[in-house]
Amino acid sequence: MTAIWLRWTPAVAVPAVIAAGVLAGSLPASARDPLPEKTPAQVLAMIGQHQTKSFSGTVEQSSELGLPDVPQVGPTSGAGTGSLAELLTGPHSARVFIDGPTKARIQVMDRMAERDAVRQGNELWLYNSKDNTATHVTLPAAASKESRSHDMPAGVATPEELAAKMLEKLDGTTDAAVAEDTEVAGRAAYNLVLTPRSAVTLVGSVAVAVDGENGMPLSVEVRARGQQEPAFRTAFSSLTLGAPDAALFNFSPPPGASVKELAVPAKPNGTKGQADKNRTGKDLADKNSANKDLRGHAPTVTGSGWERIVGIPAPSASAPSASRESGKQSVDRLLNDPLLRQATVTVQGGRAISTSLVNVLLTDDGRTFVGSVPLERLQAAAAVR
Amino acid sequence: MSHSDWSPVQDPEAQEPAAGEPEAQAPAGQEPDGHGLAAREPAVHRLTVQNSPAPGARRRPSSGSLLASELKQLFRRRRIQAMLLALAAIPVVIAVVVRVSSAVPPGRGPAFLDRISQNGLFVAVTAMLVSVPLFLPLTIGVVAGDTIAGEAGLGTLRYLLVAPAGRVRLLLVKYAGAAAFCLSAPLAVALAGAGIGWVLFPVGPVALLSGDLVEPDEALVRMLLIAAYQAVSLLGLSAIGLFLSTLTDVPVGAMAATIVLSVVSQVLDQLPQLEWLHPWLFTHNWFGFADLLRQPIGWDSFGDNALLQAGYIAVFGALAYGRFVSKDVLS
Repeated sequence: MTAIWLRWTPAVAVPAVIAAGVLAGSLPASARDPLPEKTPAQVLAMIGQHQTKSFSGTVEQSSELGLPDVPQVGPTSGAGTGSLAELLTGPHSARVFIDGPTKARIQVMDRMAERDAVRQGNELWLYNSKDNTATHVTLPAAASKESRSHDMPAGVATPEELAAKMLEKLDGTTDAAVAEDTEVAGRAAYNLVLTPRSAVTLVGSVAVAVDGENGMPLSVEVRARGQQEPAFRTAFSSLTLGAPDAALFNFSPPPGASVKELAVPAKPNGTKGQADKNRTGKDLADKNSANKDLRGHAPTVTGSGWERIVGIPAPSASAPSASRESGKQSVDRLLNDPLLRQATVTVQGGRAISTSLVNVLLTDDGRTFVGSVPLERLQAAAAVR
Repeated sequence: MSHSDWSPVQDPEAQEPAAGEPEAQAPAGQEPDGHGLAAREPAVHRLTVQNSPAPGARRRPSSGSLLASELKQLFRRRRIQAMLLALAAIPVVIAVVVRVSSAVPPGRGPAFLDRISQNGLFVAVTAMLVSVPLFLPLTIGVVAGDTIAGEAGLGTLRYLLVAPAGRVRLLLVKYAGAAAFCLSAPLAVALAGAGIGWVLFPVGPVALLSGDLVEPDEALVRMLLIAAYQAVSLLGLSAIGLFLSTLTDVPVGAMAATIVLSVVSQVLDQLPQLEWLHPWLFTHNWFGFADLLRQPIGWDSFGDNALLQAGYIAVFGALAYGRFVSKDVLS
C-alpha cells in the first residue's frame, strides 16, 4: 500500500513545487535597501532633471476604460479594425528604442502584426505590417528641437511622456504624496501618488513610479473612482539603459509596401497645453489633427482643475472656413470609428460616450462636451447656454 | 495499416531467448552506450519482471536501442507517414491556390497570405500559422494518445514490460518518440512550405513584421526557429496525451481526449472572463512565435512558452508516472 502512495508522490509534489515557486515569485522582493526618503517636490524635480536620453525597453499598457474589447481569434493579424481607439482597449505591448532626442523607434507588437514608428533626424516613417503600408513624413527642421512626444504617433505612450503631461495638472487641486517604494522593470522606484482634492472628478488617483537612481518615470497608473482595476496603466516591463543598436533607426519600407507621403503643416504653438484637457480618449485617438482643428471653434472651458469641462460649440454656417470643416470632419471620423460608435449610448439631450475616466456628451444641436466628470455635470453644462 | 511490425519482440536484443543465460550474462556489464540507466532504476521495476522465470538472468536492452527501435517503429507506420504528408500538403495547397488566383488584398485571410506572391518563403510562415490551432494538435493527439494505450489496445504492452524494458524507461522512450514527432511535424510544414514557395514564387529578401529586410538565408534560420518554437509548444500537449494514454486501453479514447483538450484550452483562452486563467493555459503562447519575426528578435515569448511547457511536462509526466507504475497491466 505504501508503495502505491510512493509512486503518486511526484504527481502531488510537482504541482506543489510549481505553486510554491509561483507564490515566491509573486511576492515583492523585500530584501532591497529602501531608497532615501524624498518629498513629492524632490521626486518631481528628479523627473524634471532626469538625463536618460538613450534606452531600450518594453512597455506594457492595459486599459479598463469600459470600452468594448476587440476580439482576437484565430490565425489572423490583430488590430483588425484599423482603429486607433483600439489602442485604448485591452492590453498592448510595445518595444521602445530611444537614442537621444532625434532617434526613436516604437514597435507596437500586435498579434501577428506590428505597427512601427521610426524617427531618425527629420525623417519619420510609420509602418503597419497588417496592411503593409508605410507613411513617410519629413518633419520641419525646427521639430528636431522639440520633444519627441509631439511627433511620435499615439501608439503606446511612454511613461515619460504621460508623466510630464499629468504633472502639469499639479496645482492647488491635487494632493501629492510619495507612497511606499515600488519596483518597476526590476528597478527600485519612488511611487508618487497624486490624488484629486475634488470629489466630483472621475479620476481616483494617478500614480507615477520614478526610478530611484536616475529619475526616469517608469510607470503611470490612473485609477478611476469606484473601479478596482486601474483604468489605465502603462509601465516598462523591461528597461536597458544605453544606446540601442544604431541600425534599428535606419528604416526603408519593404518592397511591395504601399508608401504614402504626408506633408506636415506648420505646427502652431501650444498644442500640448490643449492636449491635456481632453487627455485620454480623443487625445490619443486623434492627437495631431483633431485638437488643432477643434481649437478653431474657440472651445469654452467651465470649471477648474479636475472638474474642468471643455465645451466645443457646433460649427456655425455663418463663418465657414476650411479649418472648421475639417474640424467637424475629424469629430465625425472619430464618431464613425467602429469601436467608439459601439460605445455610444443615447442619453437625455444627445448621445454620450462613457468611459471610466472621461465622459463625452454630444448634444443634439451639435455641441460637444468633454470632461473627467459624471455625465450629469456635462448635461448641466450643456443646459447652461 | 498493418500491425505486423508491432510485434513485441521487435527489438533485436530482446529477441534473445530467455534460456540464453550464459551469453546474456557476459555483455550485461558493458552496455554499448554505457547509459547504465538499467542499473540505477528503482526497485519498483522488479515488479514488471517478476513474471519471468529468472529475473536476474535476463538482459535489459539499452535505452539507446530502445529509443532507436521506438523511433524506427514510429516513423515506419503508415499512419504517421500519412499525417506528415498531410501536414506537408498544407503549404502546397496554400501556394497553389495563391498561384492560380488573383492577388490577395492585404489584411484579409491569414496573416502573410498577401505577401506570398511577392516572396515564396512566406508560404512556410503562412502554413505554419494556419496549422497551429488545429492540424498540429490533431496529429500530436494521435501520436501522444497512442503511446501507451496503443500498446495496451494491441495486447503488446505486457510483452514490452516482460521484455524487460522497465516501466519508467518505457514511459520515457514513448515520450521521447512523441517529442520526436513534435519536432518533425512543424518541420515538415516549414520545409515543404519553403520548398514549394521556392518553386512557385520568386524568393528574395524577406520583410519582417517590423518592416526590416533580412536575407533569405537568415529568413530560413528564423523559419527553423519558428518550427522549434512550435515543437516546444506541442511538448506540453504531448505530456497530457501521454498521461491520458496511461488511463485507458482504448487508444482512440486517449487521442480524442487529447485533441478535445487542446481545443477546449484554446476556447478558454478566448473568454475574457477567464483572464486570470489565460497565462496558465498550455495553448496560451502558441501564437507567440510572431516575436521571432520582429527585428530585433523578441526572445521573451520563447522563454515564457518553454517555461510553461516545462511545467506541463513536469505535472503530467509525474501523473503519467504515478498512473503507469501502479497500473495493473493486463493486456
